[in-house]
Amino acid sequence: MTELDASGALTPRGDADVEAASGADGALGAPPGAARRQTVWADVRIYLGAVVVALVVNAVLLLAIGADPLVAYRQILSSSLGSVAALAQTLNRMTPLLLGSAAVAFAMRAGYVNLGVDGQIYGGAILATGTAFALYGLPAAVVLPAVLVAAILGGGTVALLPAVLRARRGVNELFTTVMLNFVAFYAADYLSTGPWTDPVAGEAISVPIGAEARLPGFLTGGGHIGILLALPLVVAMAWWLRRTRAGFEFRAVGGNPRAAQFGGVSLVATGVVALVVSGLVAGLAGGIEVTGVHRRLILGLTPNFGYMAVLIAVLARRSPLGAIPAAFGFAVLIVGSDSLQRSVGLPASAVFLFQAVVVLAVLYFEVRRGGVLAAVRGRVGR
Amino acid sequence: MTPTDLVDANLLRTMIVVATPLLVAALGELVLERAGILNLAIEGMVTLGAAAAFVVLFAMAGLTGGVALSLLSAATAATVVGLVLAYLCVGLRANQITVGLGLLIFSLGAASLLYRAVVGVTTSPPRVPTLTPEAVPGLAEIPYLGTVLFRHNLFVYAALLLVVPVWWLLFRTPLGLRIRATGENPKSADSLGLPVQRIRYGAVLAGSALIGLAGAFFPLVLTGGWSESTVGGRGWLALMLVIFGRWRPWQVVAGALLFAYVDAVGFVFAATSRLIPVQFLQMLPYVLAIAVLVQVYQRAQAPAALAKPYDREARY
Repeated sequence: MTELDASGALTPRGDADVEAASGADGALGAPPGAARRQTVWADVRIYLGAVVVALVVNAVLLLAIGADPLVAYRQILSSSLGSVAALAQTLNRMTPLLLGSAAVAFAMRAGYVNLGVDGQIYGGAILATGTAFALYGLPAAVVLPAVLVAAILGGGTVALLPAVLRARRGVNELFTTVMLNFVAFYAADYLSTGPWTDPVAGEAISVPIGAEARLPGFLTGGGHIGILLALPLVVAMAWWLRRTRAGFEFRAVGGNPRAAQFGGVSLVATGVVALVVSGLVAGLAGGIEVTGVHRRLILGLTPNFGYMAVLIAVLARRSPLGAIPAAFGFAVLIVGSDSLQRSVGLPASAVFLFQAVVVLAVLYFEVRRGGVLAAVRGRVGR
Repeated sequence: MTPTDLVDANLLRTMIVVATPLLVAALGELVLERAGILNLAIEGMVTLGAAAAFVVLFAMAGLTGGVALSLLSAATAATVVGLVLAYLCVGLRANQITVGLGLLIFSLGAASLLYRAVVGVTTSPPRVPTLTPEAVPGLAEIPYLGTVLFRHNLFVYAALLLVVPVWWLLFRTPLGLRIRATGENPKSADSLGLPVQRIRYGAVLAGSALIGLAGAFFPLVLTGGWSESTVGGRGWLALMLVIFGRWRPWQVVAGALLFAYVDAVGFVFAATSRLIPVQFLQMLPYVLAIAVLVQVYQRAQAPAALAKPYDREARY
């Protein structure tokens, strides 16, 4: 029996060597020359293999509900990428996924798992909506920035409790962040059916926010500039992790906490930064959904974006930059499946299945290759 | 709401019904975790079990054997997911957290697709009759206790008594000792000649079957229907219960009753309370879970090898 302490058995740590061996982290620890080309090629094969497996599995499932897979796949692509308006919709969907997965990937780099992105999105959305109501009628140049800042703070607030409990009491953040998802969900439910409810709608929807709190449009067809806010932020996170001293220390904790501690890095401070920054970034996603997409607080704000964000972060190997293509791919799937929902009655959450198969296939191929790598490492001695 | 309402016989009766899926799922997770495997897919497995049970009840409406078959299909569906979990985490030693979350999403999607494939697109969700409570002759007439304890369906009793065989297996049989040894120190277990991988596979499959059965209780005794929010986080609560119970079956029972009580307060007072908004009552189990984690966590004794893959060729 062992104590479930702060260096807990339940948190995946110490896989920095895996990261270095996979060459996904660019300059740091990437093998040089031919060896590096080989690992990149192996990566490409893993991702292609996973996509093929997912396409085949999904084709079988589509046949099972009586749809033609080829027609369905063509429709997924045309509805998500076939026109400028379709692309705008895909970028809208990509924004919360990108921010969420960058948030998760960021915390993972220090060895923390944030499963609470859903709750942090709701936290951000609640504060954003409240701020928009409070500043109703003021000029947009004041309101919109204030609303987005409020959203960021809202997400950070939801992440603060798990961060403090982890730092002070050693409670594993996996469990506290999940529990807060439900607390935040019911808080949003209360506000959107109670004090802020839209009496006309008759469901869990608040009254709309003012025009001054709306995110400007981008492209056509209801696109908004959220993606233009998210991309620079994600690049900045990647830069901080990779090119600053603080970022190096942060990753050192994720690689080997004891060694980092002996090197003078504070584990408590790193843990709080990891989770709270993660929450701040996820909170922005909530603010963008409110100001850009729904223009109000609604209950269906995040259909499991939080768990998808974890899958994307895993696919991206905990790299915020890698989350950009992965989040785009997931967004294509979601928009495409929404259109399949309308045409062949595919349930909205069936897209989860496809996403999960992609991720599990990547994990499978990676572990199969990792088995060989692990054996080699064992012989060299670690 | 008055203080006497909090010990109302019908409230306590609801508590016992609500506790059954929590308890069965938590006991399944307990078996898995005692063998050293963390199953974060539990919420998805319960949802899938509920969907599998519902579609069988729906398709076999009124036919005899429908209930037994629905239980079987719930257990089977979750066991298939468990098999993938075991293959990736035990066989291939993949990271249990990422595999668990992948399978969580997979199961949620599979449940929706299964429901859609059998039930089709409907305007109003279909319902099946829930199992009728049966009064135990004589005992049910006892005032108060009779209502609380002796007016349940047979399956509710079976679920409550399930703790006995699980406890007996884990703590009173050689196999249970081996399962626990595998979760504490797989290296030692291996050096004593125990088939660590096979024991872990077995524990994952058996635990998954129980978790799937827990799902069947939602359509069978609680809701009579299925939707994507039917389980609504109770799978995650079952995961918390294992920690709350400190990986011991009897404490898990106590925890299940406590959480079910809080959940039932939400159910019962949702309709009547004007003072507190429903949503705050619905929040209670999750707030309680956080409070409990803070209290229990530091002294919690997790199986030492929990969530750690075992590689017999690795050097330590």
